[in-house]
Amino acid sequence: MKNGIWLSLLFVLLGALTSGQDTDKKPVRKISIVAERFFFSPSKIRLKEGETVEFVLTSDDTDHGFHVPSAGIDVAIPPSGKGEATIRFTATKKGTFPFECSRACGAGHNLMRGQIIVK
Amino acid sequence: MDPAFQAASANAGLAARLEVLERKMAALSAPPKPAVEAAAAPAAPPVPAPPQAPIPANAVVASGGSPMGNVAITGDYQRSPSGETKLPVSGYMDFHFNKNRSLPGEFDFHRFVLLFGHSFSDRIKFWSELELEHSIVEGGEEKGEVALEQAYVDFLIKPAFNLRGGMLLSPVGIVNERHEPPAFNGVERPFVETIIIPTTWREMGFGATGDLGRGFRYRAYMVSSLDASLFNAEFGIAEGKTSGFPSSFRNPAKVGRLEYTGTRRLVLGTSFYTGHAGFNMATVNPRVDIYNADARYSYRRMDVRGLFAKTWVSKAKELNNALEQTTGSNPNVASQMLGAYVEPAFHLFPRRRSQDVIVFGRYEKYNTQHKMPDGYTALPQFNRSSWVLGATYKPVADVAIKFDYNFNRNASTVVKPLDSINLGIGWWF
Repeated sequence: MKNGIWLSLLFVLLGALTSGQDTDKKPVRKISIVAERFFFSPSKIRLKEGETVEFVLTSDDTDHGFHVPSAGIDVAIPPSGKGEATIRFTATKKGTFPFECSRACGAGHNLMRGQIIVK
Repeated sequence: MDPAFQAASANAGLAARLEVLERKMAALSAPPKPAVEAAAAPAAPPVPAPPQAPIPANAVVASGGSPMGNVAITGDYQRSPSGETKLPVSGYMDFHFNKNRSLPGEFDFHRFVLLFGHSFSDRIKFWSELELEHSIVEGGEEKGEVALEQAYVDFLIKPAFNLRGGMLLSPVGIVNERHEPPAFNGVERPFVETIIIPTTWREMGFGATGDLGRGFRYRAYMVSSLDASLFNAEFGIAEGKTSGFPSSFRNPAKVGRLEYTGTRRLVLGTSFYTGHAGFNMATVNPRVDIYNADARYSYRRMDVRGLFAKTWVSKAKELNNALEQTTGSNPNVASQMLGAYVEPAFHLFPRRRSQDVIVFGRYEKYNTQHKMPDGYTALPQFNRSSWVLGATYKPVADVAIKFDYNFNRNASTVVKPLDSINLGIGWWF
């Protein structure tokens, strides 16, 4: 019985220590990007080199895609009401990196573009 | 090795020879080494080799030369198998039932449209739209049409400046470039965007597109001109669109649009068109100018959109005289035409639900006889207005089941328009 109490206390202590370590970490910046026919909002995203961010991608209408050719990333954004897609990454290189819709979404599909600017 | 050959193990010599041959073939099929390795590398930033298979959710991708490191992706996604993005066939369809008061109703498979695209590279992209209207095309008969709605190649240079050439949608109004059935309310497109802005309006041409930053983007094209010999009192300039054939570039028209999308759920747009339209006329070369402003805004469950468009036709008097001499009837083309509409809509379900029911009302005013040239009298039956009241049910985001009732009015005391009821299913895939 006594051993059980000590074991429980040990777990509580370990839990408190590990949760304390988590709070010391810098929180990841979340950037919400909404796709709709035929633009991304926002279409220009500014990041700092070395920054870790999380893009939360949702659609206001049909399926869209989030394609960053220079990074080889192509993510499907589900249609409105069907959830979201997330990309978490670290901006490792300065520059301007275009992104575009990669799922055919209508007459103006080719207009759906944006830029990630890393400084 | 094929089991049939293994079965003949008694012939050891043959098996040995085959093994040698297999080794040689394997060596031949291996990828050749580049003659020049470093020198052949392009100066552009390196693009990491794409993966050969989809990566499971929560996967972490090694950064390599990529600008994005320690990438983790969750959600429904797949990565392109190569640097070349191949889009599947997409399309939209419109199936309608239209009934004017006191006339029998009609079914109409109004539009069957397929869209094809291809990326030749990250900077050269093709996009197209091929349409079959009214389900059948027969030679020489007034039935459907097969039409190339758009087919162009984009050359991506910089975000603020890219080039485009081919069959282009004129960037005027809301619906002309955004005409998928689930993207607008009402079984038919708004009257103003059918008669004053003649959707689907496409012309041959080339021009520039770009994102100017802070939410502003533009399209500016030089396009083939309208054909003034087809202008008339009822539809104004609408029947003068050439849709790419015959496509005169004697006096190319200029068309452009500036759009603001920098505030969430707000889109503001303004467009202009200017060009001479007399390529099919011997004695007169009238100029057509169009100005348009439009807006879309959503707040919680409310949507509202509105549009204003005005058209000027120069030398309308000379145009009417010339057409009357050649055809024997006066087309009564106005020197100014005007149209506007406002459409509030309400979503019965909260946003981000997979199903949606939208109720809407649209008031439209459209007058193709707004201002007449000297000596010509406006025909009041073409000074029109409509109330369109209806609902759209979307069981999923890409399927719209639509219903509306149109109260149509005009300024004439003699010719009265008929009210109409419309039902339709439209879908996008």
